[in-house]
Amino acid sequence: MRKLLAVWFGKALTVLGKIIGKKSSSSPGHYALKICPSLVAELGKCVKKGIVVTCGTNGKTTTNNLMATALEAKGYKVICNRLGANMLSGVATTLIQEMNIFGKVTADYACLEIDEAYTPIVFDYIKPDVMVITNLFRDQLDRYGEIDITSEIISRAIKKTPNVQLVLCGDDPLCVQFGQGRHSDALYYGISEKVLPQLDDTKEGRFCPACGAEQKYNYYHYSQLGDFYCPKCGFKRPKIDFEVKNVSLGTPMKFTINGQPMKINYKGFYNIYNLVAVYGALSALGESTDDFERLLEAYKPQIGRMQEYKFNKPVILSLSKNPAGFNQAIATVNTDKRKKDVIIAINDKANDGRDVSWLWDVDFDKIADENMLTLTTTGIRVYDISLRFKYADVKVDMITHSMADAVTAALKTDSEVVYVLVNYTALYSTEAVLKKLGGKA
Amino acid sequence: MKIKILHLYPDLLNLYGDKGNIECMRKRLMWRGIDAEVKSYTVDDTGFDLSDVDILFLGGGSDREQKIVCNKLLEHKDEIKRYVEDGGTLVAVCGGYQLLGKYYKLADETIEGLGILNIKTEQGKKRLISNIILKPDFIEGEIVGFENHGGRTDIGIHKPLGKVVYGYGNDGKSGAEGVVYKNVVATYLHGPLLPKNPKLCDYILTNAVKRRYPDFKGLAPLDDGLENTANDYIVKRFKNK
Repeated sequence: MRKLLAVWFGKALTVLGKIIGKKSSSSPGHYALKICPSLVAELGKCVKKGIVVTCGTNGKTTTNNLMATALEAKGYKVICNRLGANMLSGVATTLIQEMNIFGKVTADYACLEIDEAYTPIVFDYIKPDVMVITNLFRDQLDRYGEIDITSEIISRAIKKTPNVQLVLCGDDPLCVQFGQGRHSDALYYGISEKVLPQLDDTKEGRFCPACGAEQKYNYYHYSQLGDFYCPKCGFKRPKIDFEVKNVSLGTPMKFTINGQPMKINYKGFYNIYNLVAVYGALSALGESTDDFERLLEAYKPQIGRMQEYKFNKPVILSLSKNPAGFNQAIATVNTDKRKKDVIIAINDKANDGRDVSWLWDVDFDKIADENMLTLTTTGIRVYDISLRFKYADVKVDMITHSMADAVTAALKTDSEVVYVLVNYTALYSTEAVLKKLGGKA
Repeated sequence: MKIKILHLYPDLLNLYGDKGNIECMRKRLMWRGIDAEVKSYTVDDTGFDLSDVDILFLGGGSDREQKIVCNKLLEHKDEIKRYVEDGGTLVAVCGGYQLLGKYYKLADETIEGLGILNIKTEQGKKRLISNIILKPDFIEGEIVGFENHGGRTDIGIHKPLGKVVYGYGNDGKSGAEGVVYKNVVATYLHGPLLPKNPKLCDYILTNAVKRRYPDFKGLAPLDDGLENTANDYIVKRFKNK
């Protein structure tokens, strides 16, 4: 009865949210859990074939949503927390919205992205069949303390689900460390050739997770991802089960997975990791991947994943949440040789991380190349990001508190494209501004 | 004129945008026509020598990395101590600050520090995480930054960097943050520390230049409009909370 009450209450809150025009991605679940704390455990009872959990610093939402799209394309009914509300309350909200008024739902699969910090709590209620860990980067330091703490939290969660099949990024030493003991049957995916110029950006996991010695690389992709090995203890990149090769970064991107050719219309090298992670998870579930490209046709990127808005010239919105994400976004902007304007918005709300010191760990100065016409800074921490550029000798053309003013000014220049790079809480307000100014998504 | 900055173990201690502190010192010297040379001393380097160093920088790292650094640093304990007692400029942030003390006591072990400052740190229950504002008595205005530390530091009779106006400080209760001792500035503040605190940065640079060039008259003024606006924004936003 408590369960039903919780479901009804949550449903009522969702309806209420719609009436007042709010996106209810986690608050209905938050209150429903107060009524029935074990509500989320119902999920295990109503999913017939399997539960896939995705966690890791970057690529969670994209990987999880791609996975749901692929499974739906196979004709399955899938429960998925698509909006990226990835704490216990977000999972509860997703479940409530799928349930009927009797608190019942049937589905073949559940695809859930879970915030790393919440994995031990969520795993008290849900025992996933497959768990994908995408990568571990420095993220929101003030919330997690340090990256070592995040590793420790995930290890604790994995211990609670001894039978889970791990699917890990084999290029990330911090992910590979989870494939031990009971989980030595982990499956690995990776990119098995040198693709990008070998830059020296912040490598988080430069030290061997096993013995602490500095790791060496035969080649690396970005941050600590690559073909790593520890000269001291022998810890190294494992044998890769799902192997990407023959990468060509044009539009569309082309590559092969285990020899199977792929042609995919996404921007950004990092998306290859998201795609091969899905490929690996499908295989782990026993699903065929023969028609992998077709399975992804219906996928719509969530807002802010290099999403294009049409004005007199395209305005491309890119969300990044941490140094690794921003460095990847900057690298993607750099590959666009059109004349461009760049706008960067930095907020410091709880979901962004209140500590903005990471701005200094990002190669923001690299964004200024000969094709950049103007650079504008905005957001709550507009002065911090502006100072970051001042000390990198990059001229900021406009410092403003108004995203609308920033976009309006950029639309008037002679550029061919505008990039808007934002962090988390700046995303929805920027999207609203772009729509209000008449941009078509 | 030329000033040499030595960044200790940037391969291990590099959390919280420490690069920004180094860049800030370097640029503020260069903008005044003073040459600045930045060198790194990493875990793999040998030949530790402070004889021609003007500014020594020790940043923050995770507990694991800090332990590795500590063992390395203890080999150079006497030389660093001599350097400090001789008026050498040393900037230490977060983990670097803790390592200057007698010890850092964790739940299951105690890390021995350099003993350059008579301070003691113990691991507390929760991490102290906040924006932070200090009122110093040796420069004008406020020092602003961000703190994130599990350690509680007892500075004994040392002089703090400033009084806590907002945030936690050394231990969350004494109302003091950091230590200034001779030409050492040691603090939990990052964010990074120096770009938003140009007066503190210039205080540090002046100490270093004067030691190298005793006739030095003082740093020329810079246009710090943006730096001061950034500082002022934090003060106004948090001061009366």
